[in-house]
Amino acid sequence: MLELKHELKLDKSRDEKARMNFVSGLRAHVLNDMATGMRAVYDADVEPAFRRATGRAPTNGPEVHKSIKANEYFKFYSSLRVTAQDMVWQSVFPPLERNRPQLKDKAARLARRKKFGSLQLKEGFEVPRYVSAIDVHLMAGNYDGEYEAEDLAAGALYDNGLAVFSFGLMGQNLDDIGQSIAGFIRLKFPNLKPKKILDLGCTIGHNTGSWKDQFPEAEVHGIDVAAPCLRYAHARAQAQGREIHFHQMNAEQLDFPDASFDVVFSSMFLHEVPKKGIEKIIAEAYRVLKPGGLMLHMELPPNGQLSPYEAFYLDWDSAYNNEPFYKPFRDLDPAAVCARAGFKPKNFLQFVIPSVGWYGEKVWSEAATRPPEVDSDKTGRLTDGIMWYCFGAWK
Amino acid sequence: MSREPMRRTIRGGRPYFFADPAIDKILNMVVVLGSEVWTLRERLAAFEAIQVRQGGLAAGEIDAFDFSPEQEGKLAAERKEFIDSLFRILQEQVEEARGRTARAPQKPTKPAKRRTRR
Repeated sequence: MLELKHELKLDKSRDEKARMNFVSGLRAHVLNDMATGMRAVYDADVEPAFRRATGRAPTNGPEVHKSIKANEYFKFYSSLRVTAQDMVWQSVFPPLERNRPQLKDKAARLARRKKFGSLQLKEGFEVPRYVSAIDVHLMAGNYDGEYEAEDLAAGALYDNGLAVFSFGLMGQNLDDIGQSIAGFIRLKFPNLKPKKILDLGCTIGHNTGSWKDQFPEAEVHGIDVAAPCLRYAHARAQAQGREIHFHQMNAEQLDFPDASFDVVFSSMFLHEVPKKGIEKIIAEAYRVLKPGGLMLHMELPPNGQLSPYEAFYLDWDSAYNNEPFYKPFRDLDPAAVCARAGFKPKNFLQFVIPSVGWYGEKVWSEAATRPPEVDSDKTGRLTDGIMWYCFGAWK
Repeated sequence: MSREPMRRTIRGGRPYFFADPAIDKILNMVVVLGSEVWTLRERLAAFEAIQVRQGGLAAGEIDAFDFSPEQEGKLAAERKEFIDSLFRILQEQVEEARGRTARAPQKPTKPAKRRTRR
């Protein structure tokens, strides 16, 4: 199990740590070993049966899903994956519940530390229904659940849960996405010297901080709709000595003036938003970007660029992990969405960036010189050898 | 707003995959049990490491250890009890069946037809 490296770390008993270790190990088994096993079963049995019945191979993810649904291995894979997902959060609740008073005190102390960043919450802020009405990825209470005044428990649930969930694949500080991508952008575009950077849907700011690390001169802002995550994000950034400014805002309607940022970023965010919202978010990103600025979204790869089996594999979450907007997002054509928001088609870009934590600096930095390969069984999939997909555009 | 406990149940329930959702539920129980077994093993490993550090045990002493015949006998009885309790649910069915047989009114039994081998 990954231990959090900052002051908001929970005190856990030996048994609580062991349970977390078990869940991380279980997830690694399901997502590495069983995922490989399921592919073998598909190739040996499911796909040939489909061919015999139809005279052709499946052409898209839903066809693969339909053909594999009755397979016993798929059922065990899926049932165990749901169990493991649930156990991630259940392994955090007991120590978190016990630590809540101390956590709140610590956060209050960290917020009083003079230098560093800021936090702005809004009285009477309306959290959109697509966040307030579901428990995304089976996380009870979701990002915005509050159980007392000034609550930040949901942020702690996410931070500690992510440490169990990621079985090391998201880095020692859960910022592999941020470190891999912000660093890659710095290498690939040495002339980009951002003064202001914005992270949309930043939750606990775990990937926001990397932008500050890579561009220490820049002013870095993070926005989210969920107050408990933002309170936690602020305390976490203070604990890590990073100057970041967090605001409660909806990315569909930002309070920032036109042309005020050099980089607008998000990670693992758009797939939590319905299509209509995504269009508005990209349009808002266009509005707040300065001319010559860069919009970049780290995301799951689009279905249009994946083989039918990979499309099915990634859409599993949409069907079974309370991710209702995951597949609709992945069915979108990112280039077309950017164009509709006003970005010139020639300014569209996309990359597949090797995880710096998994591959090491050498392979990772070399990738900055290569054209992207999207359809890989490592792209966007939380498995050994993970590669992060991102798309965006220059304004 | 006072401090309320965090909600631990998932809104909208969870998906099931097997024809009978009971299979998914039992699989979940097996995995949770597996987690507790693992937790015990880690705890025991911690205990052993502390004992070795404090000089109460030599490294590898537990692996080289054999119980005395008397201890073996006691453990065998406890093991039997453990296994019985593990399968108690099946035994319940047997006992319930025996109960029904015992309660059934004793009809005069017909002589059983016996196939005789010619």
